[in-house]
Amino acid sequence: MKIGVYFCNCGTNISDKIDAEEVKAGLSEFSEDVHFTTTGFLCSEEGKDFLEQDIREHGIDRVVISACSPRDHENTFMRVLSKAGINPYLMQMVNSREQIAWVTEDRQKATEKAGRYIRSAMRRVMLQDPLEKKELDMSPDVLVIGGGPAGLKAALSLAEAGRKVIVVEKTPVLGGMPVRYEEIFPNMECGPCMLEPMMGEILHGEHADNIELLTLSEVEDVTGFYGNFIVKIKQSPRYVDMHQCIGCAECVGPCPVSAANEFNYGLNERKAVDFPFMGALPNVPFIDASMCLKLNSKECSACVEACPVGAGVFRFDEQEQTIERQVGAIVVAVGSSLYDCSNIPNLGYGKLKDVYTGLEFERMLASNGPCGGEIKTSDSRKPETIAIIHCVGSLDKNHREYCSGICCQYALKFNHMIESKLPGTNIYHFYKELVIPGKEEFSLYHHAMENHNATFLRYKNIETLEIKDEGGKKVVRNAMTGGGAVSADMVILCPAVVPATGSGKLSAILEASQDRFGFFEELHGRLDSAQSKMRGIYLAGTCQSPMDIQKSMNQGMAAAGYILSGLVAGRKLEVKPITAVVDEDRCSGCRVCMTVCPYKAISFDAEKEVSKVNDVLCQGCGTCVSACPSGAVKGNHFTNEEILAEIQEVLA
Amino acid sequence: MKAEFEPKIIGFFCNWCSYAGADKAGTAQSPYPPNVNVVKVMCSGRVDPQFVMSAFEKGADGVIILACHPGDCHYKEGNYRAVQRFRMLSRLLRQMGIEESRFRLDYVSAGEGEKFVSVIKGMVETVRAMGPLSAPVSAN
Repeated sequence: MKIGVYFCNCGTNISDKIDAEEVKAGLSEFSEDVHFTTTGFLCSEEGKDFLEQDIREHGIDRVVISACSPRDHENTFMRVLSKAGINPYLMQMVNSREQIAWVTEDRQKATEKAGRYIRSAMRRVMLQDPLEKKELDMSPDVLVIGGGPAGLKAALSLAEAGRKVIVVEKTPVLGGMPVRYEEIFPNMECGPCMLEPMMGEILHGEHADNIELLTLSEVEDVTGFYGNFIVKIKQSPRYVDMHQCIGCAECVGPCPVSAANEFNYGLNERKAVDFPFMGALPNVPFIDASMCLKLNSKECSACVEACPVGAGVFRFDEQEQTIERQVGAIVVAVGSSLYDCSNIPNLGYGKLKDVYTGLEFERMLASNGPCGGEIKTSDSRKPETIAIIHCVGSLDKNHREYCSGICCQYALKFNHMIESKLPGTNIYHFYKELVIPGKEEFSLYHHAMENHNATFLRYKNIETLEIKDEGGKKVVRNAMTGGGAVSADMVILCPAVVPATGSGKLSAILEASQDRFGFFEELHGRLDSAQSKMRGIYLAGTCQSPMDIQKSMNQGMAAAGYILSGLVAGRKLEVKPITAVVDEDRCSGCRVCMTVCPYKAISFDAEKEVSKVNDVLCQGCGTCVSACPSGAVKGNHFTNEEILAEIQEVLA
Repeated sequence: MKAEFEPKIIGFFCNWCSYAGADKAGTAQSPYPPNVNVVKVMCSGRVDPQFVMSAFEKGADGVIILACHPGDCHYKEGNYRAVQRFRMLSRLLRQMGIEESRFRLDYVSAGEGEKFVSVIKGMVETVRAMGPLSAPVSAN
């Protein structure tokens, strides 16, 4: 075996402190053929050409490069090795610049240290194995979970780029939360008007053929990995044919069964066959199987008789089905929910009439909502005084520590809408902090501050606010302002934004972790907030963190961008070879490795009773290698033998 | 005599945080004693207890593991495994007569060049003051 040792002077950066000749003299103990060369700048074009030629000319089998940090040029030199015809993993770098020359005052000591490092690198490199990158085929198709703004933006961006996208939406309707809002902060745009063109593109646009929309559907199971996920989707029947129905709503009126409409938070009723709300897209009603008489073996065909298209529109024989799809990447865009205000009993939510959450009030404001857009109390009066409570559960160690970031803005939007719908209404804002960042958001703030009927009162802690019903009035007492009471006809609570129900289950199915609040955990808070910690699973919108529509849309685009740049049709998935490998003969099947793997990359082969590492999921940390009590797991490029040889030589 | 003693120390640095922190000290050209010999691992979770035992057996007077800060591990939780193993191994080493302060685990981020230097100086001074490790050690 011939070892080439290349000592880069890095100009004089290294040679000032390390005497190459003395290092060379210290290599005489090696019985192997050692070829020692000093160069000026090995990373220069000239240096790289020299390295390539020298390796070839001298028939070098193993390479040690003493130069800068491997974090600078390891990849550079690995490419040179490949060009020179030897496996790039048969190289070891010695960090003589950053970790010796630049930090050691004494030249003799620096030289001795470099000698130790180079000798130990030589011992190590002799044991290193040639490793090959693997290549796997990838599916360019994408699954998007959630049909709100973030998911739809991702789906549309991908479809426009020619990708096949499957959108899985739990409810019968697209658009997520904002499509239910009459107007949207910061500039009072109409929610449906803003989102419907995008939804129209998804449903009927130029690239709609690339999008398979599955409403009333949930992801049940995911196996595989980046580039090759197999997804099982459970779709509940709609009982109405999406293609034949013309959306005329003739069937809704004659339907004899009604119940509370969950899409309006129970503020009104809907029929067994109905739309979640008028204007909901896709423009096709759904039948609630628990309510429908016919589906409960009773005589009724009111809807069928009313339908102008024909009996074929209704499909009472539809069954729940499981749909299987293969995709290369998954975008999670399942949105969020609101903190349960009944956790703060002093606010009276759920017990007192006319105490609403922000979402309930949004529906009250909506012209397609339960009150036709009229603000009225439960006894149908126009409220004279409305109290808006900010920070309900947000910025609060007893509830949710974080600021939800959107509540101030929609509270100020409410202020604006109340004033325009019911001029002269007294509005009291009880707030802990006011947070209104952004270049557009100030106008609602100034508008509220200039509204003579609006009063801002700070409170210290949500527990120090008390809302009681006194003679039909909601009396809000604030301990911080000396207990002075505000008597209101209606109270609107702005609760903390919390993870959507079912996030935990989905997280387990996807093996994409949640943070301590239950939001899907991003790969990195600033660098990669639209990527999960699981490769190939991306995050968009409020499933990752509370955020507004702008940021949700941006994340949808970011997720699409990651997919378009990483998952390219025809391109193979490159699997780096620094992974763990199980020696099946030595594995006792104890599965300790599986418990320590942070990536769930290890599975158990029940037939052979051995652990198996999936080298696509394995990130090469080596935690399982150290954990294996049988020494059956080998850490490629960081084997026990290699590391022990390094330790022994450096101490020799 | 003791003043001339130069301790031999093995440092296991993880690729993402502490090794980068050491590089940061390098770019800042902050000098520190050359006694710590670095063995790079991808993650502090890769530090097998036998590496530490072997280091003491082969003549190290001290061993230091530098990991990512809790919560910052590049591999999510490898540093927690390192801490678990470190605690167990410390007790074992004590039973073998190797003083606690010869074996240390600390956290250095990729940005903490200054902290890196002070941790290394501290470790070298501690072990220097203790003198050479004389207890007979066997990995078996």
